[in-house]
Amino acid sequence: MAALVLPAGLLVVMLLVAPMALLARISLNRFSPTELMVEATTAENYWRAVQDPYYQQVLGTTLGVALGCTVLALALGFPAAYWLARMESRWKSLATILVLFPLLVGNVVRSAGWMALLGNEGAINAALMGAGITGGPLPLLYNGGAVVVGIVAVVLPYMILTLAAVIEGIPRQAEEAAANLGGRPMTVFRRVVLPLALPGVVAGSVLVFILCMNAYATPVLLGGPQFKMMAPAVYDQFVRGNNWPFGAALAFILLAVTLVLTVVGSTLLGRRYRAA
Amino acid sequence: MLLPAPRTLLFRTAIGAAFLLMLAPVAMVMVISVFRQEIVSFPPPGLTLEWYVNAWARQEFARGFVTSLQVALLATAIGVPLGTAAALALQRSAIRGKGALNTLLLGPLAVPGVVAGTALYMFYLRAEFWLDRDLTATLEGLVAAHVLLTIPWTVRLVSASLQGLDRAAEEAAANLGARPLTVFRRVTLPMLRPGIVAAALFSFIQSFENLELTLLLVGPGRTTLPVAMLSYLEFRIDPTLAAVATVQIVLVAGLMLITDRFVKLSRVV
Repeated sequence: MAALVLPAGLLVVMLLVAPMALLARISLNRFSPTELMVEATTAENYWRAVQDPYYQQVLGTTLGVALGCTVLALALGFPAAYWLARMESRWKSLATILVLFPLLVGNVVRSAGWMALLGNEGAINAALMGAGITGGPLPLLYNGGAVVVGIVAVVLPYMILTLAAVIEGIPRQAEEAAANLGGRPMTVFRRVVLPLALPGVVAGSVLVFILCMNAYATPVLLGGPQFKMMAPAVYDQFVRGNNWPFGAALAFILLAVTLVLTVVGSTLLGRRYRAA
Repeated sequence: MLLPAPRTLLFRTAIGAAFLLMLAPVAMVMVISVFRQEIVSFPPPGLTLEWYVNAWARQEFARGFVTSLQVALLATAIGVPLGTAAALALQRSAIRGKGALNTLLLGPLAVPGVVAGTALYMFYLRAEFWLDRDLTATLEGLVAAHVLLTIPWTVRLVSASLQGLDRAAEEAAANLGARPLTVFRRVTLPMLRPGIVAAALFSFIQSFENLELTLLLVGPGRTTLPVAMLSYLEFRIDPTLAAVATVQIVLVAGLMLITDRFVKLSRVV
């Protein structure tokens, strides 16, 4: 029976672990314009990525967008998750499906929807101009704001489903007791529900932050040519630049920064949780 | 007793905004797919379904759709049995290192698509050199990559099913003289059906819409639907693209409704 784990295990080792080891090795090679890649053991690709102002800026943009989107997704997702978790009617399964559905539809499709909403000829600009609020179209698409809106929409279902699962486990009696003792709804929410839901806040934020850091389709389609995040920059090295060692180094820098920040973030939040 | 939920305007606005952000782009895609004018403008001058015909006539979308369908079906058909077997071993056998094995099998979910995608591309190029045959831009190469996506979902969902399973029925069958394989086939497997159906749904959809892992593995003449849509969208959004996207939306919605008959989706996520 134990042998049943072998086929799947070997497949993951062969198609994920081995390729990642190979990518790590390639990141230490040297790029050559004539031969593409020369065997070497050097950290120069990592140094170049860290010192180049362009990539510093790309990493900075990525971090800013990821942090902003995580906070926004938490602020917008928590009320929805609470509402979903405390719902008792038969509408609950419909509401859950409505959250799950956009998650399953895919990022490219949803980015297309945002392009139709935010473009110069798009629905929002047409409505604003039709109502006489603005004279010409507002530049809503192809900037950082559009990317933030698009990514928040992509990650919201993950945040809501993670939070709702934790909130469902909080006994209702805790809230009722606080309410009976005179706590107003907003006070009960802030002083009872929120602290008890902190493990869900940590889990949801970590998951969403990782997704934001690695977003690809949304920044490519909604950000325009001037706006660069890390994941598209990594692919550019493989598709356009052909500088594989440098692209590999960028991929591992993205992975490392994401990992360090999620560990630091969840430790800090976890400490507050124990103190609360 | 009254539910002590905050009913402030702020709270309600946040809920409304969250659902609007999640659903508005999906609804908008479906709406513009029937606009008559090629350049999308509001309000539309008229409605038509001809863009659906036009979308199918475009080779990149028709072929991309067929390729995505083939890849997703094959990856699901291979990955779900492999993942189910692995989940059985993890939950039912006495092997050592279960925690590590579980982490390994959930790995494809944890590693960001950018890293896994570029790593797999480099690996395929190296393997092509050793094996002296193509892997990138082939059906086999795409299916192998996508099987990787199906394994963590299957292990997770089938494991959860196995944990919630009442073993008394299996013991009763064994006591009544059924051999282990018969018990598995006639008792365990039927009880696992909801988990396996959910795993198949998530596997199929994850594969069908995958972009990051696929991006570098496609080639001329063999591209998947999301990659074809992405390259089209880098230039413009028009009703033809919206029609393709709507087909994908309807496919996902249909699969969710069918699956919901076997297993309540609100309970598996």
